Amino acid sequence: MPFETIIGAWVAVGLTLFIFTFLYNDNPLFKLAENLYVGVSVGYTIVKTYDTVLVQLIWKPIVENGEWALLVPVAIGLLMLTRYVPKAAWLSRYAFAFIVGVGSGLAIPRTISSFILKQIEDTVRPLMTLIPGEGVSFTWNLLNPTSSLNTIIILVGVCSVLFYFFFSVEHTGPGKVVARTGILFLMIAFGAAFGYTVMARMSLLIGRLTDLIEFSDPSYGRPSLWLLGVTIILLIVMSRLSGSKQHKEE
Amino acid sequence: MTFAERMLKIDRRIIFLVIGLCTLLPLLYPVGLPIKISPEVRGVYDHIESLPEGAVFLLSLDFDPASKPELQPQAISLLRHAFKKNLRVVALTLWVSGTGLADQIITQVAREMGKESGKDYVFLGWSPGGNAVIINMGQNLYGAFPTDYNGKPTKGLSVLQGVANLRDVNYAVSLGAGNPGVEAWYVFGKDKYKFELGGGCTGVMAPGLYPLLRSGQINGLIGGLRGAAEYETLIDQKGRAIAGMDAQSATHLAIVVLVILCNIFYFSLRKQGKQRGYSGA
Repeated sequence: MPFETIIGAWVAVGLTLFIFTFLYNDNPLFKLAENLYVGVSVGYTIVKTYDTVLVQLIWKPIVENGEWALLVPVAIGLLMLTRYVPKAAWLSRYAFAFIVGVGSGLAIPRTISSFILKQIEDTVRPLMTLIPGEGVSFTWNLLNPTSSLNTIIILVGVCSVLFYFFFSVEHTGPGKVVARTGILFLMIAFGAAFGYTVMARMSLLIGRLTDLIEFSDPSYGRPSLWLLGVTIILLIVMSRLSGSKQHKEE
Repeated sequence: MTFAERMLKIDRRIIFLVIGLCTLLPLLYPVGLPIKISPEVRGVYDHIESLPEGAVFLLSLDFDPASKPELQPQAISLLRHAFKKNLRVVALTLWVSGTGLADQIITQVAREMGKESGKDYVFLGWSPGGNAVIINMGQNLYGAFPTDYNGKPTKGLSVLQGVANLRDVNYAVSLGAGNPGVEAWYVFGKDKYKFELGGGCTGVMAPGLYPLLRSGQINGLIGGLRGAAEYETLIDQKGRAIAGMDAQSATHLAIVVLVILCNIFYFSLRKQGKQRGYSGA
């Protein structure tokens, strides 16, 4: 096995275990791993951005291919840096105006089309289907998202939730029933979202534990077992040290 | 202090230990619980199955190492399926922090399936702009990515023959862990350039994407590790996702039991409180 893979396994196991120590209590091992994670992430992003944007997309096309038109976006981008010079900070407004203007122009029509119009179109479906010669048909299948029953459930859900957030009318009498129905739909939605969140977090735990099991293999030098022992010893030592410190202070 | 009171004030580290054991033990001793295929995962699988050999399959790996346990198995399964069908794979990422991971996944699966970079697949890497990259690709793919991840000019690559922009893509799948991800690919890609789109996402994001699925804006959705396990079952290649399903079921069961127990203790405590209140009066 390549040496760098083994080193990578030891580093990955060590940092995973250090992060897991937070479940016991907040400690310097966790802080070390947390700060390393932030530092490495930011460092990686800076290096990739420098290489891709400055070198590949700006420097090389201008110098090697003579694409001088690229100097226009570069100039607009540089205007943003004027925010660090108080006297010239007003220049950055042009860059921000350009970004906000282009961004809004691109996003607003597309978002309205995709998330509002398409969703309204999907909500306002016929509740029953008229088949020529056979009459009106109503499908009861709960598992089919397009069945008549599900269409009614969605219609009731959308209307009752919208009514719940309509505060111009007091929620009393029949209005209270509709608002309560809206709350019921909201609770089901929150429950589903929370269930998926639990599943996602457990998946992350499974991912780390799978790696720890894989790295307990002798071909890696069993880093999971060795570093688990080291981490436990370090936790005990730190706990003793903080205990004696508290004792002295008292 | 009653038993219910003691239970409700239990050290949270005991609960962590229970959850940890419920995850670890099934990973060490798998049971092999059955995995049922959902229609949303089958939607992605069926569409890839229906594509002819040489069709262009675009895979956008819009995630970083933080979502690796959920989205890496999805990416591996989709790539294995696409390579097995001899599709031309065009991969990219809209997340700068995921570039290295995406390259690692594609290189690993391509090597395993005996595929050649530039001929059978291309990894375009990352380009700045997020949503703007999708629009740029829709107009001119070579403008958005003049070179691939290895610095080779994209113009002239045999894998991209006949591909000028997103309109020439037969099927696109975005594996998203946030924004930009599946929604961005729909809003700025499919809605404008009219190609078929499928999605894969983390479990947290899945409920938010179901409305897009129901309205037909995406034709399939692979949600979290569970979705990845279903896809692995469909292509008949057991991987990390299937291995993790027993642990997932065990932890879910443990959480359900804990929620029920907490409710029992809470209501018994409330009942005791009421009884004390009555006797006091």
